[in-house]
Amino acid sequence: MNQAAASSAPGAADLRHRSEAEASALPPLLVQAQMLAGSVLLGEHGRRRAGTGDDFWQYRPLQQGDSRRMIDHRRSARGDVQFVREREWQIAQTVHLWTDLGASMRFSSSPDLPQKIDRARLLALATSVLMLRGGERVGLTGGKLPPRSGKAQVLRLAEALSAEDEADYAPPEHRAMVPHARALFISDFLGPFDELQLALTKAADRGVRGVLLQVLDPSEESFPFSGRTRFHSITGGLVHETLKASALRDRYLDRLAERRDALETLCRAAGWRLGLHHTGDSAQSALMWLYHALERSAA
Amino acid sequence: MTLIAGIGFAYPWLLLGLLALPILWLLLRAVPPAPRRQAFPAVTLLLGLGDDESLSDRTPWWLLLLRMLALAAAIIGLAGPVLNPETRQTGSGPLLVVMDATWAGAEGWEETREQIALRLEEAGRAGRTVALMRLSDPQELQFRAATDWLQQLPGLNPQPWQPSADQIEQALAHFAKAAEQFETHWFSDALDYPGRDRLITALEARGAVSVFEHPGPVYALAPPAIADGALELTAERSLAGPAEELPLQARGRDPGGTLRSLARATLRFEDGESRATVRLALPSELRARITRFELSGLRSAGAVALADDGLRRREVALIASDSEDEGLALLSPLHYLRQALLPSADLLEGALSDLMPANPDVIILADVARLPPAQEEAMIEWVEAGGLLVRFAGPRLAASDTARSEEEPLMPVRLRLGGRSIGGAMSWGEPKTLAPFVEGSPFVGLVAPDEVTVTAQVVAQPDPTLAARSIATLADGTPLVTRKPLGQGQVVLFHVTANAEWSSLPLSGLFVQMLERLAVSSSTGTPEASSLEGTVWRPVSVLDGFGRALDAGTLPGVQGPALVTDPAGPALRPGLYDSGSQTLARNVLRPGDSLTAATWPSSVTVAGYSTAQERPLAGLLLGLAVGLLALDILATLLVSGQLSQLRRRTALLPLIGLLAVAAMAVTPERTSAQEAGANDPIALAAELTLAHVLTGNAEVDRIARAGLQGLSDTLFFRTSIEPSDPVGVDLERDELAFFPLLYWPVTADQRLPSPAAYDRLNAYLRSGGMILFDTRDADMAAVGATSPEARRLQQLALALDIPPLEPLPSDHVLTRTFYLLQDFPGRHPRGPLWVEAAPADAQQTEGIPFRNLNDGVTPVVIGGNDWASAWAVDANGRPLLPIGRGFAGERQRELSRRFGVNLVMHVLTGNYKSDQVHVPALLERLGQ
Repeated sequence: MNQAAASSAPGAADLRHRSEAEASALPPLLVQAQMLAGSVLLGEHGRRRAGTGDDFWQYRPLQQGDSRRMIDHRRSARGDVQFVREREWQIAQTVHLWTDLGASMRFSSSPDLPQKIDRARLLALATSVLMLRGGERVGLTGGKLPPRSGKAQVLRLAEALSAEDEADYAPPEHRAMVPHARALFISDFLGPFDELQLALTKAADRGVRGVLLQVLDPSEESFPFSGRTRFHSITGGLVHETLKASALRDRYLDRLAERRDALETLCRAAGWRLGLHHTGDSAQSALMWLYHALERSAA
Repeated sequence: MTLIAGIGFAYPWLLLGLLALPILWLLLRAVPPAPRRQAFPAVTLLLGLGDDESLSDRTPWWLLLLRMLALAAAIIGLAGPVLNPETRQTGSGPLLVVMDATWAGAEGWEETREQIALRLEEAGRAGRTVALMRLSDPQELQFRAATDWLQQLPGLNPQPWQPSADQIEQALAHFAKAAEQFETHWFSDALDYPGRDRLITALEARGAVSVFEHPGPVYALAPPAIADGALELTAERSLAGPAEELPLQARGRDPGGTLRSLARATLRFEDGESRATVRLALPSELRARITRFELSGLRSAGAVALADDGLRRREVALIASDSEDEGLALLSPLHYLRQALLPSADLLEGALSDLMPANPDVIILADVARLPPAQEEAMIEWVEAGGLLVRFAGPRLAASDTARSEEEPLMPVRLRLGGRSIGGAMSWGEPKTLAPFVEGSPFVGLVAPDEVTVTAQVVAQPDPTLAARSIATLADGTPLVTRKPLGQGQVVLFHVTANAEWSSLPLSGLFVQMLERLAVSSSTGTPEASSLEGTVWRPVSVLDGFGRALDAGTLPGVQGPALVTDPAGPALRPGLYDSGSQTLARNVLRPGDSLTAATWPSSVTVAGYSTAQERPLAGLLLGLAVGLLALDILATLLVSGQLSQLRRRTALLPLIGLLAVAAMAVTPERTSAQEAGANDPIALAAELTLAHVLTGNAEVDRIARAGLQGLSDTLFFRTSIEPSDPVGVDLERDELAFFPLLYWPVTADQRLPSPAAYDRLNAYLRSGGMILFDTRDADMAAVGATSPEARRLQQLALALDIPPLEPLPSDHVLTRTFYLLQDFPGRHPRGPLWVEAAPADAQQTEGIPFRNLNDGVTPVVIGGNDWASAWAVDANGRPLLPIGRGFAGERQRELSRRFGVNLVMHVLTGNYKSDQVHVPALLERLGQ
């Protein structure tokens, strides 16, 4: 948990390298522009309609009001009708990322498993790489790293994600989101629920839609403890001691299910999607899910 | 000591503590274990969840079991368990430990002492008083605390005799004086001796007797005898068991004066026989050197037979007057002497001038009146150096004017002219008989038979010294044999002839005995007691119970007959005795003695030595308990989930190490780590290895090593010799046999090797090794006493077998074993080089530039050119030290390397290059 803080530059390079490796297995993620208006900026992928862009879309007869400069003389010379060459309209989508870098994420129940924060960083950056490759503009919420496109943004993202938050449970950052952009929040969502609610409400107000990905350790799902146990949060701020941990399992699982129901309800209200990922599972499946989820929520 | 399941317990009541284990089980189960600390981010979901029941989880059963085992091990360990406990009933009351303490038990003496110590410890534990009695040296019984005796025990040694009748009487008296009943432990040496049954009866009257016998037969060597010219050695054993063989060795001083094994033989006991005999045919030279025979590997006085004059054949030169009548053998003056001496002496006959250089022990002149002046001078010298001259009278002596007017050096007395005849046809009186020998005569104790008569003799002039000088007289007081000391030797004159002409003395056995007493001849085998009558023998060296020779010191002399007949005892210790110039050995066994195994009445209990040693298990069990507790620490950490933390920090490792060390310290097992020597003999023998002698000067040793490394590299590159890395040799410790060449840099402050190291060095030189001495001072001095190193070299080499040396001749094989060389530079260009001198008769063949020189390799090469510095290379193979200047220096280094190559080639190939085969090719290259 401390090596990431100790050396951010090698950590960043490593993180980028691993996320590049993860991303290389998927086709470029094409986020369909849901909103034509708003953040209309030229992107690289077509909108399947005529507009500004580089790729050829169709020839159409010259209409009233078209400038003569728009006539495609090579096509028009074949007949008497004058044609205008139309190009496909290409725009870029803006995606906001928020990854929980709080202390609660720096946990893994066994040395074989990655820490939650590692998995969260990886998934966040892999998704960004896919989207940047598709020409989208990706950035962090909160204005620290505004959305930009281009490969260099991967480096900046990786560096920003290498930071750590000292707080036990970090609240979601909901400031400086571009209206009608897309958003991806990755966290364990074990912290205070109000903060999340506030963040999603603000996002919904701005027309931002997106995906929540809950990353949990398998032990948090199965609660494999027994005997006299003293549970404490990572920083030690919260402590709960029990004489018989095994007796707590059912009630803990109930509470976990409750929390997930609440998240589900919140998402449905805000038009977001909720995903669940365990650090024991492969990152690839989570990325696949994110790809589809972002694609669908864009539709 | 209580016995439970074959294991004894010193404190069996402590085992009741095991009953507490189930209680502990319940207690441990009831008390909750320490909480396990668990980091858990989802603790937010747990907040507010209370426990349903107050009972916590229990300690896991395997952890409980671990703790139970640890506790049980500790309890059992503290109860003092002992494997193979001594289960004998400990009696009460005083205890008497009786030891035979004879030579027969010397072989197993350590064991006996251990067994006695065990009994003493046991008696000490039981609080019994103990008395110790050695039957071979009985003392007053003193019942004292066992620990007192334990302290004295190491000082008790076996005596080289069996308990004598006197000693048994003394022991019985001591037993009778004891006030109370006592139990007896008798440590017997398993040999029978007269009077033992009386001891048993006496001891049984005072209490129970148990006997501990050392197992196995007792071996002893009888005195050597001579049969048919060969040495006959007989060994006895007390039990006529199966066939077996015993090695025998004869030890004595070699011509160099070192004690060594001179001959070996094997004694073979046939199945069921208790006696084995072996014959040793040895040259008389060698036989005379033998001082003792030993049964190899046996350590007792009985296994030693000392050699005395009986083995030694004296050289006796017999000289008669020149004109000998060859036809009449029985009238020859030497005939009877020959017959008397032949069985026991080596006779030399011939001209005196021929015999004197042989330096005989005794010279007998039969009727020789006068010697030529030169021979007389030589004879006087010889007698003064310790020779014994025996003269016999005869007609010539009687007729000559020898010693008439004044005493001559080679004649004990002055003689009257003519002699006298008694009882002949022309004289009055009867032939005279001999008077009994008086005290002070060497013949005292011999009985003169009546039939010995004297009819004629030469007569001594009356003289003040005559009485003192006559050692045998006739019945009328006329001296018959006179003697006078001369220097360290003596001159003896028989006033009669050596044949039967003048007396019947040479016909009688007395003649032989008289010659023996005069040490003219030595007796073969053990002399008869009667022939020793009247002699007193002074002990020279005596044997202790283990067969070691001790200086006799001030021990009193022994009467001759007793020396032969009496059994050994405190007054007659086995050893070497002398009287005059004769020596006589007294051994533990007399000729004809045999060994009988002791038998015991059924009323005493006989036990062997118990073989299974008591083995306390307490340490082992306590160590186990500590180990289990250490495991428990780990297990507890595991259960509370802190093991991983500890594993990350390395604090656990020292802890585990500490516990392991503690466990090892508690367990009595000892690990013997054999220190691997730096110089592994197998590796040294597998490859050719150059070696240098460690001088103790670190710089010199470093250069020597680097030098040999350089030489090894050179050899490797240029020749088929591929040496491994050179080694330094510590002369005190290391075996030298693996090294063909030793480079010995001489420093002025080097320590002289010990005698043992010199022995090894000499053996090394004898077996073909070569030492290159390098005084490293050729720039300052020629080899000689002119530098401190050279002086040190002289001291170092003093004790070495070094042949005569000469400066290396120009045709020495060292100049052409591989390279053709004339100079042998090292760091210094041309110091002289000394090698073994060529034999004086080496011839130079016509047309060949080399002499046909001797075989073999010169054992030493001595020089001062500091070759190692020139050879030395650093770790990268570059020259270590500068040599000379510029290219000339490099040339000098190259020549120095060539010298090294030649030297090693010379060691390995010997004089191969001296062979004629290569002469043509060499001639061609030399341009001749």
